[in-house]
Amino acid sequence: MTIVEERVADVTILRLKGRLELDTGDMVLRDHVNGLVAEGRVLLLLDMHDVTRMDSAGIGMLAGKFLSVTRRGGTMRLLHLTNRTGRLMHVTRLETVFEIFHDEDEALRSFQTRP
Amino acid sequence: MPVPAPLTGRRILLVDDDRGLRHVLSTLLTEAGHAVDTTGDGPDAVARIERGHFDIVLLDLGLPGMSGLEILAHARALPSPPLVIVMTADDTSSTLLEAVRRQAYRYLRKPFAPNEVVAIIAGAMATAPHAALSIEVVSAKPEWLEVIAPCSLEMADRIQSFVMHLEADLPEPIRESVAQAFRELLTNAIEWGGKLDTTKTVRISCVRGQRMLLYRISDPGKGFDIDGLKHAAISNPDGDPLKHFAEREEQGIRPGGFGLAMTRSLVDELIYNESRNEVMLIKYLS
Repeated sequence: MTIVEERVADVTILRLKGRLELDTGDMVLRDHVNGLVAEGRVLLLLDMHDVTRMDSAGIGMLAGKFLSVTRRGGTMRLLHLTNRTGRLMHVTRLETVFEIFHDEDEALRSFQTRP
Repeated sequence: MPVPAPLTGRRILLVDDDRGLRHVLSTLLTEAGHAVDTTGDGPDAVARIERGHFDIVLLDLGLPGMSGLEILAHARALPSPPLVIVMTADDTSSTLLEAVRRQAYRYLRKPFAPNEVVAIIAGAMATAPHAALSIEVVSAKPEWLEVIAPCSLEMADRIQSFVMHLEADLPEPIRESVAQAFRELLTNAIEWGGKLDTTKTVRISCVRGQRMLLYRISDPGKGFDIDGLKHAAISNPDGDPLKHFAEREEQGIRPGGFGLAMTRSLVDELIYNESRNEVMLIKYLS
């Protein structure tokens, strides 16, 4: 999996591409988010549009990093879930934990009103 | 004369009688840093494999002069066999099963996106030497595939790829659910049951009935106590889907624990044996 990073004011957008799975994508996500947290960048928006596959390890890493950034006063929100990733967020009940958006502008505005 | 090894990539022989496909794949693979040799003829492919010391052979099955399956068997019988990725428009399960029996590394059904080949080769390189491990085929009938495989995560990808090709006729949502559930259970068996020890094996049976799919996975571990899975999401109360993370952090386990909860929701039945080192998943076909 690859991650392309964009910064919009205090918000960091991470565009994920490829497989968010055990031993591949989950480690890439962990290392990238850990790097951002170390810099103090804890307002994160993950664009999931190009995540082709996700397994329980990938979901676990999403949840784990969500906890990391919220403990540091930040948050992690999700954008553009596909049918596949959306269904997995539903069955794991994580859709009740993450704020999920379909529109990028709306997602970015949400950080201004509820940072 | 052996093909010189590239600095970063692999030595690849591309065998296909479709000149256009040879050109596209050869260009793409060369750009990816591999040293690529090509041929469109079966006997010539065998001769090149024997003298070329290739790491990977991309092999079309419908070749003039010699069957691709014969070339596969020939290549895999060499003392240092190359990984063979089969590419074919033949979508019969008997062809796939014969390729599995003859130790094909992967099976690509034509047409496929050329980048898929590059990704598979990158995966093989990243997981070497596990990519070279063999799968023992116990039964290769379309309605009963049974294999024994070493406990390597790389095997989960390979076996899932073969099994899902067999279920290609199923509606996409069913195929997707079963593939996800199967992968979760297989990964669990390899990681937790087999402790990623490639000297240990998992046994996998895939049974296709008229009205159901049944997958059975047996791992070499001691099993587990489901009531003791406080680090798994299935133990969480309603309304607190992350409660198990506290337990995982205390035990020093990586973030996760959603596998069983996911699998249960994706199939119709999930049945464990008494010690829980053997599991069956069932999906009914209406």
